[in-house]
Amino acid sequence: MSCPKTQHLLQEYFSDELAPVVRDELDKHLSECSHCSTELELLLMAQGNLQQWQEKQVPHWDRGLTLFRQEHKTISNASGFWSRWQWLPTAASFVMLCVLVFNFSIVTDDNGLTISFGGSPTSSSSIQSQLAEFQQLQNAEMQALVARIEDRADSNNVQLMQAVLEQTQRSTAESFDQIYSYFEQQRLLDLQDMRVGYEQLADSDYKTIRSLQQLVNFVGYQSDIR
Amino acid sequence: MSSIDEDQALVAAALNGSAYAWDKLVKRYEGRIYNQGLRLTGNATDAMDLMQEVFLGVYRNLHRFRGDAKFSSWIFRIAHNKAVDMNRRKRFITAQPRLSNLDEDNGMDNFPGEERFEPDARLGEQQLNDSVLNMLSELSLEQRWVVELKIFQSFTFDEIAELQDISANTAKTRFYSALKKLKVVLEEDNVLS
Ligand SMILES: [Zn+2]
Repeated sequence: MSCPKTQHLLQEYFSDELAPVVRDELDKHLSECSHCSTELELLLMAQGNLQQWQEKQVPHWDRGLTLFRQEHKTISNASGFWSRWQWLPTAASFVMLCVLVFNFSIVTDDNGLTISFGGSPTSSSSIQSQLAEFQQLQNAEMQALVARIEDRADSNNVQLMQAVLEQTQRSTAESFDQIYSYFEQQRLLDLQDMRVGYEQLADSDYKTIRSLQQLVNFVGYQSDIR
Repeated sequence: MSSIDEDQALVAAALNGSAYAWDKLVKRYEGRIYNQGLRLTGNATDAMDLMQEVFLGVYRNLHRFRGDAKFSSWIFRIAHNKAVDMNRRKRFITAQPRLSNLDEDNGMDNFPGEERFEPDARLGEQQLNDSVLNMLSELSLEQRWVVELKIFQSFTFDEIAELQDISANTAKTRFYSALKKLKVVLEEDNVLS
């Protein structure tokens, strides 16, 4: 037994939206016509079978990020304040490399950084004593700052030294290339560490740097008026 | 924020160079595109290749995306074009003779009975997908696309019409004829078993 309305009605059944009038008409016919209702049931079953698809997880891939970054240059180069410190780990690595490869020994000066402003003051003794006091204060702060930076560099160096010794002990036939690539790797890691470290340092030492600038201005002013 | 607005915000940010936004945008659609590829090609390697081509196409044309269209429609239009291109080279979408008929002598293709081994969940999943692939292989290319977009991607017939440059009525008719064809296949299966 067939029905002339099947095709038209069932095609409508799968529409995205049906006017309520059409929907009512459809329901009414389906309740009366066994051919159409059986047919619909089978079509829904076929649809249901397809819907059994099990979503598969996407295998790992880079999502085009390599290309994206390349073209947008989002790997930002160190800029501003931090670019000035970039040479630090490089230099440390290089020094270590020299020490290890060429068996150099380097004697560091324990006096640290000393700032001398030279020239004999011609101004009044009160200004002179104030300036001396100010200089002393700022010298101490500068020493502290430098010591902290050196500490950081030192601990980096110690770590480097330990790591390198470990590395070289493992194989005495270690090639220059291997050591170099190790340093390069270490340097990149250091760069990340140091950036974070110096950011913290910068926060706490911002005041120091400001007052150092004031000092420099002041001294500059002093020598100008002299 | 609706998902459509979110798509547009991500597109804008990606165009501005945000790798994070691009990554997020890809993440939102990769699953749908990959699984579509699996259903069209029937194998993971081609599906992966196709998906990568789709997203490369998206990336290259992102500046052309106009906010007045839905991003999902736009990306699936690209997916459609890429699949058509790839099929021209590889011919994966063809109405093939039924796998079950070919393998009738091969007992491996029957559903495993309890006496053989306990099917684990993974195997069950693969079997379900294989049976879906089997059904899809019965359809013509045109029917397959409409079924893909309607059933698996939940597009409306109007959206499918726009995506495929056909009328909504044609899309509707194709969908109905696809279901009818599948119904016949299921009936045959029941008679055979
Ligand atoms: Zn009827």
